[in-house]
Amino acid sequence: MFLAIKEMLHEKLRYSLIVALIFLVSYLLIILTGLATGLANLNKAAINEWDASSIVLNSDSEGRLQQSFLSQDEVASLPNNGTRISQYSTLVKSENGLKENTQLVGLDSKSFIFKKLKITSGSKNIRNNAGVVSDKFKSDGFQIGDHLLVANSSLRIKITGFTPRATLSALPVVYISPDTIQPLNKGVTNAVVFRNKLKNSKIPKGTNQLSISSFIKKLPGYSAQQLTFDFMIAFLYIIILIVISIFLYILTVQKLPNLGVLKAQGVSTQYLILSTLFQSFIISVIGVIIAIILGEITAITLPSEVPIVIDKSNIIVTGIGIIIMSLLGALIPIRQIAKVDPYKIIGG
Amino acid sequence: MSNLIFESVTKVFGEGSSKYVALENINFKAESGQLILVVGPSGSGKTTFLTIAGGLQTPTEGDVKINDSTIKSLSEKQQTKLRLEKIGFVLQSYNLVPFLTVEEQFKLVDKLKKQNLTEQKMHELLSDLGLLELLKKYPNQLSGGQKQRVAIARALYTDPDYILADEPTAALDTDRSMKVIELLRDLAHKRNKIIIVVTHDLRLKNTADKVYQIIDGKMQMIN
Ligand SMILES: Nc1ncnc2c1ncn2[C@@H]1O[C@H](COP(=O)(O)OP(=O)(O)OP(=O)(O)O)[C@@H](O)[C@H]1O
Ligand SMILES: [Mg+2]
Repeated sequence: MFLAIKEMLHEKLRYSLIVALIFLVSYLLIILTGLATGLANLNKAAINEWDASSIVLNSDSEGRLQQSFLSQDEVASLPNNGTRISQYSTLVKSENGLKENTQLVGLDSKSFIFKKLKITSGSKNIRNNAGVVSDKFKSDGFQIGDHLLVANSSLRIKITGFTPRATLSALPVVYISPDTIQPLNKGVTNAVVFRNKLKNSKIPKGTNQLSISSFIKKLPGYSAQQLTFDFMIAFLYIIILIVISIFLYILTVQKLPNLGVLKAQGVSTQYLILSTLFQSFIISVIGVIIAIILGEITAITLPSEVPIVIDKSNIIVTGIGIIIMSLLGALIPIRQIAKVDPYKIIGG
Repeated sequence: MSNLIFESVTKVFGEGSSKYVALENINFKAESGQLILVVGPSGSGKTTFLTIAGGLQTPTEGDVKINDSTIKSLSEKQQTKLRLEKIGFVLQSYNLVPFLTVEEQFKLVDKLKKQNLTEQKMHELLSDLGLLELLKKYPNQLSGGQKQRVAIARALYTDPDYILADEPTAALDTDRSMKVIELLRDLAHKRNKIIIVVTHDLRLKNTADKVYQIIDGKMQMIN
């Protein structure tokens, strides 16, 4: 790829400009995908930690945990290896004035979900109004042994342990026992979560089984948010495609006479096309690499309130996406190269 | 022995009222060891003749044969290969790649032909044409005449059997022109090549083995 490299080195300014453009759009893409992933995680992280595959809710609840109320009979007729979940959103305060909006989740300490929970510090104990709470509380200044005062109630929950990645609908979760949540929600079970999919025959009338992934899609605001991000990301991909196409088109038009002469001198069209693809590949790889490095730096420097997650899959998908776009962007110039007729150029 | 033959070649551009006959029924034959000059006024069809000889254009009627095979029966790939290996083109303009130094213009040829010709050969050619001190320069740092001489050296570098040159001396003074033509004639005679030079420079007439004239698309041997 002698020709390709020599040209880029000689036309440093032009090619740096394209690299800069690719970098800017890629950077934006990485940040946006990072935010999309981060916000999605905030919504569903706790559910992912459960490692379950299905959830049974009231048929009228439209998949919303808060609106779902299961009767005693319904709960009783479901297989008993499920985890019964009671949920209650509220505000909690510590004795020294720290406040936190939270999701209280009541579940049995023998349930598979509770057994799965990881602990970053403290112990895994929810007996006697004790709670295992999201480590968000820790980063906000709460400590093991602190008491959480539940708003509009006399309930006091003692923090015994912190658990990682425990957020649900963007709020940190407090896991407590069914007995503890009883006075707040009158002992209602909102849903039962299963490790495996249930046969339809096992689902009582009036209830509905959802896979965990479709349950997540129905979390309030979740789909709308992700769709918005998907749109922005898709547009950025289109923009990058157009930008690269235009740039390569102009560059190619400018050098058509030389390409014609090279053809006359026996340089194959294939060589010239490969040359252009190679250039396209190189500029996008450089642009993407700079964008990844700066994206990572940005993610580290941003305050922890900004829910940005730049993980491997994010980087790989974005990187490959941009490289594919820039190779596609080379298609129009390739057509020009294939079409250029040496004679037309030489004429005279 | 190489040869280049035109059999009743006619080239017509356009159709209907804009129809223009650029070459009319041309019969022509060139054999190894000859320097052939094609002269004629501007617009007479010289470049058309040369590009058809090199397979860059196909004749409307008639056949062009190189080494006894008809060019238009070759696949595009074979034609590209033919141009790369057998033909050296020196064109009227844009001969050099703008982002390669003089030296790199030659390196490109090496890469393409997957050959590694000795630097010595390049240096010989360049010093014959008085270009040695220009090795590291880019085309836009050369004068018109220097560019043309680099293009000639580049065309000779691959040691082609045919050299087709379009006005190779246009930007050169009489001394330099004579030098270039003598170099080409020596190549034709000593290395048994076919060299066709298109020009309107009548000073060169006496140096060639054969001289043809094209006027309004008709060709005629005049010497
Ligand atoms: N693609 C084309 N379409 C239509 N007419 C053409 C085309 N190419 C060349 N011609 C015409 O054919 C004639 C011969 O052109 P050609 O380029 O061979 O002239 P030339 O002898 O090389 O002239 P010059 O000395 O100025 O370079 C000209 O009248 C030109 O206008
Ligand atoms: Mg001409």
